[in-house]
Amino acid sequence: MTRLPIRLRLTLAFTVMMALLLAALGWFIYARFDSELSDQIDQSLRAHGDDIASLLAHRDIGRSATLLGREESFAQVLTPDGRIYATAPQLGPRPQLTPAETARAARQPFLVTRPRIRTITGQGRLLARPVQARGQTFVVVVAASLDDRNESLRNLRTILLIGGPVALLLASLAGYVVAGSALRPVEAMRRRAAEISAGESGQRLPRPEANDELRRLGDTLNEMLARLEAALERERAFVDDASHELRTPLASHKTELELALRYAATPEEMRTAIASAVAEVDRLVQLAEDLLVLARTQEGQLPLEVRRVRIADLLGDLRERFASRIGESGRSLTVHPADGLVVEGDRARLEQALGNLVENALQHGDGEITVRAALEGREVEIHVEDRGPGFPPEFIRHAFERFSRADPARGGEGTGLGLAIVEAIAAAHRGSAHVANRDGPGADVWIELPA
Amino acid sequence: MRVLIVEDEAKMAGLLQRGLRNEGIAADLAGEGEDAIWMAGATEYDAIVLDLMLPGMDGFEVCRRLRDDGVPSPVLMLTARDGVDDRVTGLDAGADDYLIKPFSYAELLARLRALVRRGNGERRPELQVGDLRMDPATRRVWRGDREIELTTKEFAVLEVFMRRPGEVLSRFQLLEHAWDYEYENRSNIVDSYVRLLRRKIDRPFGTQSIETIRGAGYRLREGGA
Repeated sequence: MTRLPIRLRLTLAFTVMMALLLAALGWFIYARFDSELSDQIDQSLRAHGDDIASLLAHRDIGRSATLLGREESFAQVLTPDGRIYATAPQLGPRPQLTPAETARAARQPFLVTRPRIRTITGQGRLLARPVQARGQTFVVVVAASLDDRNESLRNLRTILLIGGPVALLLASLAGYVVAGSALRPVEAMRRRAAEISAGESGQRLPRPEANDELRRLGDTLNEMLARLEAALERERAFVDDASHELRTPLASHKTELELALRYAATPEEMRTAIASAVAEVDRLVQLAEDLLVLARTQEGQLPLEVRRVRIADLLGDLRERFASRIGESGRSLTVHPADGLVVEGDRARLEQALGNLVENALQHGDGEITVRAALEGREVEIHVEDRGPGFPPEFIRHAFERFSRADPARGGEGTGLGLAIVEAIAAAHRGSAHVANRDGPGADVWIELPA
Repeated sequence: MRVLIVEDEAKMAGLLQRGLRNEGIAADLAGEGEDAIWMAGATEYDAIVLDLMLPGMDGFEVCRRLRDDGVPSPVLMLTARDGVDDRVTGLDAGADDYLIKPFSYAELLARLRALVRRGNGERRPELQVGDLRMDPATRRVWRGDREIELTTKEFAVLEVFMRRPGEVLSRFQLLEHAWDYEYENRSNIVDSYVRLLRRKIDRPFGTQSIETIRGAGYRLREGGA
């Protein structure tokens, strides 16, 4: 059943239900009609019985031998011992009840259906009842043919047996058509979905007019398409940006080497060109590594070696790492580790994130650089602050986007991935990253990690 | 030949300027669109090398504005993006050629020469005036069959003459096409170079192809000497 198409399955289920329903209805009608007709016949037998009872009670007629006239087709009056008191002339002198039946009828009335009854064609119904008249008990027996009733029931059965299946067939056909038209939007959506390829954008499934389940399904699928499209668009933009970011240093790198090949006359000039090329390659290596980290986080595969990390140790290492560069720049780096703070995390990654922040402060900020850690509620916040000009306000919203730089000219130092990586690392630790400008002024960038 | 380089990335800009100068091409730098539009309006550059990715106004917009201002200099666009749309947009904005980063420096030079040639309605890569021949690609000059050794700057000045044979060129025009902004505007530097040129292209051959036009400037005789 489950292998059949939905349309056929719906129609079959409908047909089975309909068949059961029609059969039940037919049976009910037939039974009602049957009992109605039987009741009518019993009623008229009783009335007939009553008539004879009242004739029997009549002073003159009751005694007469012509108590039951010629027009009576079936009527007898018996005495409780089984003798005939009066009989319809056509019946002759034989009692129509057995002595046991007569005795039973003398006590209380009964109705019985007999396959054959004298003078009556076909099946018959017989009523026997006691009557008290002239100080003694009589048994009155009347009967009527069931032929008419049987004929009517037969007709009804014929009508039901022919009409039922026809109705069932028509209903099934209608069901098949309705199921088809209900499913037509599904087929339309399927056909369009088959045509939609990853390359095209703005393609949507057709929505049915009616405000029904299929329309909601279509809307939901269209929303999903829109989300996928947006994600794809972001991917494409990332690849575009990445290729631009790779090409720009490669271009000047290549030009530099070509110029050296073409014009450099002295070993000294050659040396300068090679040194510059090496620096360029370093930058490219950094860029490639940053891109790799981001690509992995995007796939949710940034491997973390989670351990207990003491914040004091982390910040101590950070200070050591930057000590010589801070010294050269003539700036200062102050570290305020709160005592006893511990997070669960990947120490190398956390150091990378904080390193990026200090690097930014060193390159783009000014004055003293402060790194402080504190417990805020259930989160450990690690802030890196400087006393430079801070971020341009319009940059703050895009600070963590890949390849976004506070300095809009793309030629600036750095890859534009530093903050994006900070955020990716914080997110991998189920934390978050934030930027703000201090009132100081200066920039304040921090990460929040679950304690 | 004088070229304007519009490039915001300092390293690339510096490299291009150094390279072009090594070829005897006067090269000025503009770091952003506004500067480029102003400079291109003030000086008739033989070509403009325009990077697409600029702070503020992008390369397409700069190109459109240049064309709106009636700047005739051919524009060679540089970009790190290689989408067909970008190329179409660039050419439609009025660019004459397109190079994708990273490009070959040799190709950049060749395309610049081709652009300048096209701008002057020339087809042959070699320039010829009388029996004086010049190949800008290899930077060689001949009088008849004999090759003449010229310094980079001498070559640059002679190229200006040879691209406009028979025209009277003022000292300012010569200066404008053979020197960039980094040289001070001293017109006697032009006279000095004309003297140096005559010593190499005329005196050994007994010709007088560079004429002095009193009060106007100099002229390279078309029919030769």
